[in-house]
Amino acid sequence: MNAGDLDSLYTQLCRTMAELGEPNACVFLARFALLAIDHMDDAATVSRLIGAAAEDIADQTLSG
Amino acid sequence: MRRSFAAYPFTSLAHAAKLPPVLDGVERTRHPVAIVGAGPVGYCVALGLASHGVRSVLIEADDSVCSGSRAICISRRSLEIIARLGALEGYLKIGLPWTGGRSFYRDAEVLRFTMPQDENQRLPPMLNLAQYHIEQILLERAQQLAEMIDLRWQTQVTAVEPRSDAARLTLSTPRYNYQLDADWVVGADGGRSTVRESLGLALHGTRHEGRYVIVDILLDSRRPAERLAYFDPPCNRGSTVLVHKQPQNVWRIDYQLRDGEDADAAVKPENVIPRVASLLEMMGERGDWSPIWISLYKANALTLDRYRHGRVMLAGDAAHLVPIFGVRGANSGIEDADNLSWKLAFVVKGLASERLLDSYSDERVAAARENLRYSAKSTEFMAPPSFAFTLMRKAVLSLAVKHAGLRSLINPRQTAAIPYSESPLNCALEHPGEFFAGPAAGAVLPECPLMIAGGEARAEPRAGHVTELLGQRFTCFFFCDEVRLPAALASLERTMGAHGIPFGVVSLVRHRMPGRAPLHGWDHTGRLFPMYGAAANTLYLIRPDGHVLGRWRRVAAAEAAAAIERVMTCPKAQGTADECRRSR
Repeated sequence: MNAGDLDSLYTQLCRTMAELGEPNACVFLARFALLAIDHMDDAATVSRLIGAAAEDIADQTLSG
Repeated sequence: MRRSFAAYPFTSLAHAAKLPPVLDGVERTRHPVAIVGAGPVGYCVALGLASHGVRSVLIEADDSVCSGSRAICISRRSLEIIARLGALEGYLKIGLPWTGGRSFYRDAEVLRFTMPQDENQRLPPMLNLAQYHIEQILLERAQQLAEMIDLRWQTQVTAVEPRSDAARLTLSTPRYNYQLDADWVVGADGGRSTVRESLGLALHGTRHEGRYVIVDILLDSRRPAERLAYFDPPCNRGSTVLVHKQPQNVWRIDYQLRDGEDADAAVKPENVIPRVASLLEMMGERGDWSPIWISLYKANALTLDRYRHGRVMLAGDAAHLVPIFGVRGANSGIEDADNLSWKLAFVVKGLASERLLDSYSDERVAAARENLRYSAKSTEFMAPPSFAFTLMRKAVLSLAVKHAGLRSLINPRQTAAIPYSESPLNCALEHPGEFFAGPAAGAVLPECPLMIAGGEARAEPRAGHVTELLGQRFTCFFFCDEVRLPAALASLERTMGAHGIPFGVVSLVRHRMPGRAPLHGWDHTGRLFPMYGAAANTLYLIRPDGHVLGRWRRVAAAEAAAAIERVMTCPKAQGTADECRRSR
């Protein structure tokens, strides 16, 4: 996957979420996380990524 | 906080209106080309036409070069074009070159990017200078060619009436109004184009919601020129701020308004000055500063579907509006001008069918769509259009500190020349595996240093670059081991000359040529041949705007002649593939 692919997927994810609407955003991201976990099929990596995603999250307000 | 405004460190001369002799309200002379708008695009069209020996009248509503906060970044590709127009020196003298930038999220640096820059380059990837300088330098070049470019200041176009073989412009000046007939009209009159409006044409696309305040300030600072982006900075929480250094201590600061902020209030000095002050404090800039100019910006991503409408062509912002993020506005306009001017010159001189002008539209509409696609990504990041983009941007920025793989999402994707890969003019067919490197048909040339030797002056070889060997003509690069041209190429050169088609063959050799030789390039570093996938007898045919028209692994004079013939005639049913195949 190159930088262009990453750009396109980022945009696709954002647009899909925008179309589903804000009330559905959390469940959409949760479903995507589960599909990614299932697809990765690597318990150690998934566990590490869950930790990385949670790290410092208390500092992130959703305002900006 | 009170702070008095300063002026831009530039004084523009006011130019008098020039009024032509008029008969029954119509100028007596009919012009081959009228260009509306003396901005960067209009000047580049006029200079391009002049370089091909075609006169134009250049019509400008104002009495001087622009003022205020406009384009500030000129790309390497634009500089290559400006070099061919004979105005490069002024740009390099005044502009500030830069090669990359940094992005910060709150206090942490999350991206350090560099634009393509290596020891092969002749020109910097980007040069910052204010649009009044961009225009002034082009104006001075145009004044040197005053017999070719008839500049009409203080002349406002109020109507454009297209006819089958011409167009009539209605013009208003401080003294009297008149009409002017031109065989061809180029509308380069900016985003609020009168030419476009007169033709009843509308731009289509996306109008983005995010709003930015753009502030130019005067600040004495030794900080180097680079692109600085601050996301959610401590000085302006929840906002995004961009900082660019311009020459003469002028700094451009763009910051995003928060949702719900009142735009009218946001541009008032009493609201702008504290935000700028806290930004400068955060950056550690302690020097005295003054605001110069404040404006509001909303990103538009719009284009016309076609840039040719009979005898009228649209170019630059009159044809498309590209968001500022990625600096594709003025730069794509300069590329429009470069594409259009040689084609229009060839049509005016009777060398080419007017259908060649349709390829201007085909190629540049495709380029605009590509530019809009790139800039959409930048704009959606810099001015998130919905909660989803805001949320995802926060995720990217907060993760990018530790996760390098996500940093490319923050990269602003600065402008680069768009290849005309799908152009009907291309002689695109190559045998599979014929070339493993180098620019294919439609692409621009990658830069490479070489020694420029031979020619009339018989001077010692001098260090130069491959793009310096291009001119306002078709150029054949003949990769070879001796500078003597094969008979077929020498004959092609004579034939083109006899038909008045600007054309030249330049030999590129691997070894220094002893004795007297025609102008040639010597690949003294050994990098040029492999970069172009070339061996002895490889031939590249390059258009007057520097895009490759076709390339062959062996001397292919007949194919090159056919490719040029096809450009000139633009047969309605494009037989590109068949003709190229037949010619092999």
